[in-house]
Amino acid sequence: MQVLILDIVTTAAILFAVSCGLLISFGVLKIINFAHGAFLTIGGYSALVVTQMGWDPLLAYPFSLLVGLVLGAAVERFIVKPLYDRPLDAILATWGLGIVISQVITIVFGRGVQFVQSPVTGAVELFDGSYSVYRLAATGGAVIIGGLLALLMHRTRLGLNARAVIMNENLAQALGINSSSVRLIAFGLGAGLASLAGAIITPLSSVDPNMGVPWLVNAFMLVLVAGSSLLALLIGSVVLGGLQLVISTYGSPILGGLTIAVAAALLLRIRPKGFVLD
Amino acid sequence: MTDAAKAPALSVRGVSGGYGAAIVVKNVDLTVPEGRIVAVLGKNGMGKTTLLKMIMGFLPLHQGEVHLFGKRINGEPPYLIARRNIAFCPQEQPLFQDLTVGENLRLGLFDDDAFEAKLEKVGVHFPFLPDRLRQRAGTLSGGEQKMLIVARSLMASPRIMLIDEITEGLQPSVIERLAHVLAEQRRAEGTAILLIEQHVTFALAIADEYAVLNQGEFVDRGPANAADAAERINRHLSI
Repeated sequence: MQVLILDIVTTAAILFAVSCGLLISFGVLKIINFAHGAFLTIGGYSALVVTQMGWDPLLAYPFSLLVGLVLGAAVERFIVKPLYDRPLDAILATWGLGIVISQVITIVFGRGVQFVQSPVTGAVELFDGSYSVYRLAATGGAVIIGGLLALLMHRTRLGLNARAVIMNENLAQALGINSSSVRLIAFGLGAGLASLAGAIITPLSSVDPNMGVPWLVNAFMLVLVAGSSLLALLIGSVVLGGLQLVISTYGSPILGGLTIAVAAALLLRIRPKGFVLD
Repeated sequence: MTDAAKAPALSVRGVSGGYGAAIVVKNVDLTVPEGRIVAVLGKNGMGKTTLLKMIMGFLPLHQGEVHLFGKRINGEPPYLIARRNIAFCPQEQPLFQDLTVGENLRLGLFDDDAFEAKLEKVGVHFPFLPDRLRQRAGTLSGGEQKMLIVARSLMASPRIMLIDEITEGLQPSVIERLAHVLAEQRRAEGTAILLIEQHVTFALAIADEYAVLNQGEFVDRGPANAADAAERINRHLSI
């Protein structure tokens, strides 16, 4: 039972890490970035590059974050920004971009599955059993990401400006806030966090050009039930991630794979605000 | 003295515009000298708010020019106009309801370091604000929300304020307090104010000049202290 609870916690933490970047960019831009999964894949391959270069595996995290930030900012400026007046076209553009990124990765790195070096290995004795040290470390990483994001959004001027743009962009502009800059930073940060999440995931699985696709679906559904609230995303990650794990463990892994999408759709039918608190 | 120093706070020259092909404001001229209060009155749908949106850059001008302290601003994005010592109090969705009172006030400033000093200043006018910084703005009463809007505008010590129907739905005591605060702001800091209003008594109590907008054109204007000002304005508003 204790191990199951630990599994739920670590699964929720990883889901949160994968989804928070999408939540930030969706909250500010009001556009779902369908290239989010591709940025996650970029993070996975950034970690692979670190492994292939023989660098310290810990460098995979800052390196993937930086690559995601830079590429995300470039995508916002040159692809998404010209389409702000056409949100549907902007969404389609990010979807197309995801395909292009996947193809470019295939050309550069090949189609095969590859593995990256983990910064920590082995297991630790917990609750009369053993548990993966890396899963625990990844959970700690997700907690740090969530904490830093909460601090950024609620304790800095940039975060206040971003929340103002999320709530009422016209009023924010009337108060001198350059919403275009806020959008650039939000999209870049969202892509950077997706890439970082990709680097966090890779030691748990493997790297391939389509590794981001299944994560994109779950992240998308979690953002739908979280609105633009980090707290709601955390609750959603715990509840729906936990449900997924329980169904996968005691039912079928195939059903487990569908759990988040189905449960989120049902929740939105019953409570349109999802996990957003009053 | 430079041209900019001599220039009026706001000058609107031959401005026309509206929403797409629909022209709502037609060839309007309006000047707000520094340290003066000008009230623009008119019925609903006459173009008052549209004029403000054009001044603030939210709507494009079909023709004409807008100058702020001698500097031509039409064509600039709203956030740059807002950084030119201008405070805008919109009528529609004027507050961030889910942010706290303190956060709404901070958004009136460009420099957080000045927050405490500025809070002390607006706290003189609105003593309830410093005690309720952590309260969500949307949970304030209607009158308190209007006072918060004005307080946020005062945080940056603007040289000009554009205020859109601030008295709408307010009880007389709150209107009286707002009139006192705005008159005091003009007296103490020489702030120019463009008031968009339907509340004739309030407008004439603090304004130096009035102008009546009817179907996008000014049809009457004059000194606010003229003996027949209220009668003339009411005649236009009742037609």
